[in-house]
Amino acid sequence: MNEHEPLIRAEGLTRTFRVEESLEGLLGSFKNLFSTRHRLITAVNNVSFDIHRGEFVGYVGENGAGKSTTIKMLTGILTPTAGRVEVADIVPYEDRAANAFNIGVVFGQRTQLWWDLPVRDSFDLLRSIYRVPDDLFTRNYRELAEALHLEPLLTLPVRKLSLGQRMRCDLAAALLHGPKILFLDEPTIGLDLIAKDKMRAMLRRINQTRGVTIILTTHDMDDIEALCGRIMIIDKGSIAYDGSTERLKREHVRHKALEVEFHDYNPEVVAIPALKLLRREGNKQWLRYDPKAGTMHEVISALFRDYCVKDLSIHEPKVEDIVKAIYEQGAAPKAGAAPVHA
Amino acid sequence: MRDAAGEAAQVPGVAWPLVGALPPGARVYAKFAIRSFQKQLAYKFEYFVGVFNGLLFIFIFTSLWRAIYANLESPPAAFDLEGITAFAVFAMIVRISMTQDDMSTVGKIRSGAIALDMVKPMSYFGMMLSECLGQTMFHWFTRVIPVLAVSLLAFDAALPRAWENWALLAIAWPLGYLIMFMVNYLFALLAFWFIETFSFHLMKYGLFTIFAGGIVPVDFFPEWLKPLIESLPFMYILYTPTALFTGHIAGADALRLILLQGAWAVALGMACTVMWRAAQRKLVVQGG
Ligand SMILES: Nc1ncnc2c1ncn2[C@@H]1O[C@H](COP(=O)(O)OP(=O)(O)O)[C@@H](O)[C@H]1O
Ligand SMILES: [Mg+2]
Repeated sequence: MNEHEPLIRAEGLTRTFRVEESLEGLLGSFKNLFSTRHRLITAVNNVSFDIHRGEFVGYVGENGAGKSTTIKMLTGILTPTAGRVEVADIVPYEDRAANAFNIGVVFGQRTQLWWDLPVRDSFDLLRSIYRVPDDLFTRNYRELAEALHLEPLLTLPVRKLSLGQRMRCDLAAALLHGPKILFLDEPTIGLDLIAKDKMRAMLRRINQTRGVTIILTTHDMDDIEALCGRIMIIDKGSIAYDGSTERLKREHVRHKALEVEFHDYNPEVVAIPALKLLRREGNKQWLRYDPKAGTMHEVISALFRDYCVKDLSIHEPKVEDIVKAIYEQGAAPKAGAAPVHA
Repeated sequence: MRDAAGEAAQVPGVAWPLVGALPPGARVYAKFAIRSFQKQLAYKFEYFVGVFNGLLFIFIFTSLWRAIYANLESPPAAFDLEGITAFAVFAMIVRISMTQDDMSTVGKIRSGAIALDMVKPMSYFGMMLSECLGQTMFHWFTRVIPVLAVSLLAFDAALPRAWENWALLAIAWPLGYLIMFMVNYLFALLAFWFIETFSFHLMKYGLFTIFAGGIVPVDFFPEWLKPLIESLPFMYILYTPTALFTGHIAGADALRLILLQGAWAVALGMACTVMWRAAQRKLVVQGG
């Protein structure tokens, strides 16, 4: 495989699900007995992207946007309804086993460890499943045990571990066979702040020192800001943004937000064209500033002139706000399209 | 492989000298079987109950046959009293020796946990069969041997002397076991298509209970029902190994039954492959 060719290539990836619609009420349940109405849900809609060796990609979207469905197609668990995907030159759903040797997978909501076995025994089973040569296994095992501070956990059965501990073990389990690519589906979900930070530090190291290509899904923007050089936003099954996290920030950085506190009141509307209401709370309003409609100087002068302002601060936009703005606009024109301006 | 410092970072896997001798591709399945065997150790109470249940059923069925035969003018052609009690004892022991957990795949499909088995480079069928075998080995030690020992002493059952009976058992038991495993497997895979599979399982249990020959030997069913029974896989699970082992069926008829078992095993094996492929195409994994 050519060094410069993409490691993962998805073209027009689409997956629909047929779901039964059940009617409500007593009469409805009788009707359900005789006829079932079906509805098609397009979970992933014509999604295309290339991912290169060594990238750390954040795959972002709200609940139900289609993140897990995409990951399942990339890992060979699901067959796409249409489109094609190649992961390290293998079509995952056609050759699930061959693909499995190349990838590691962590699903935040469930563990791949054996519930009633000590962690160490699960690792031993994985070693046989992936036929990891002894020397490689020993090296990976020591390295991971040290980096993820697994020593005290190794003899415990998985069911006795806390969520954070279990995630660390699951991460190690996904890396024992030295995969080229690591898929993480909401790996930080449910973790407390300290556990999240540890997990992020670990992922950064895996990406940088081992050169593992990582695709991480999340709806936590802090994960993305901390880790991902590239962000892909999926909204209702379609790609709404695909580009570097830097570019996303840069292109939206001028859309600062003003946090304004008023004296003893909160006006219905702030009638300044460059400002758009984001949120209000007590005597405060958060307003998005649009530089095209006036300079910051004009806007602030008008504010102090026309309103009784007690306090004011200016915020740089967070990735979270930018992504929200993209959602509000709805899905982007086309998959793999240029960034959307909020 | 202990570290000089004696740290917990010692690498696992040294406790398996026998497994280590297997080719790498086979090791994992041996390990699954051993793990599954070990897992059973946790359920101590259950195997006492199992032994008790087995003996109770043997007692009930042998008593029942005695009562029935006492009221008959002349015994039926198929079995005399001694024959039918021996059959009842060994049919129950064969049944215990084939105990299989047939719901774990259904559970995995329901919860979506099967997704994680599917991202591993191994055969799901092979993994489940090895786990099943590990469980069975455990039942051999904890149930089959005690029940057999008590039965030989307490119920007028005797082990056959001729080597042919043992040879036939050595072929018919694994085939019967495999057929049962694959029937269970096929029914379990239905959970990929149907949310509620309870009625399918109920049907399977019904057919198994009636037609496998564990309670009433196939010989006692009316002639018109026999073609149906012979064209279902169930009688090849319990009836065939029991009838061959007790010597109820011998010679050319015995060979014919073994060939039929073999044919069923091959057919079911193909069905499992086809259905697993279809399931993968269809696969709808529940949850995030
Ligand atoms: N097995 C399934 N059957 C029916 N609908 C599904 C199934 N899996 C996912 N969906 C639907 O597809 C959409 C995308 O789901 P998913 O990929 O899990 O989203 P995300 O991981 O981004 O939260 C949702 O509307 C979800 O309800
Ligand atoms: Mg999800």
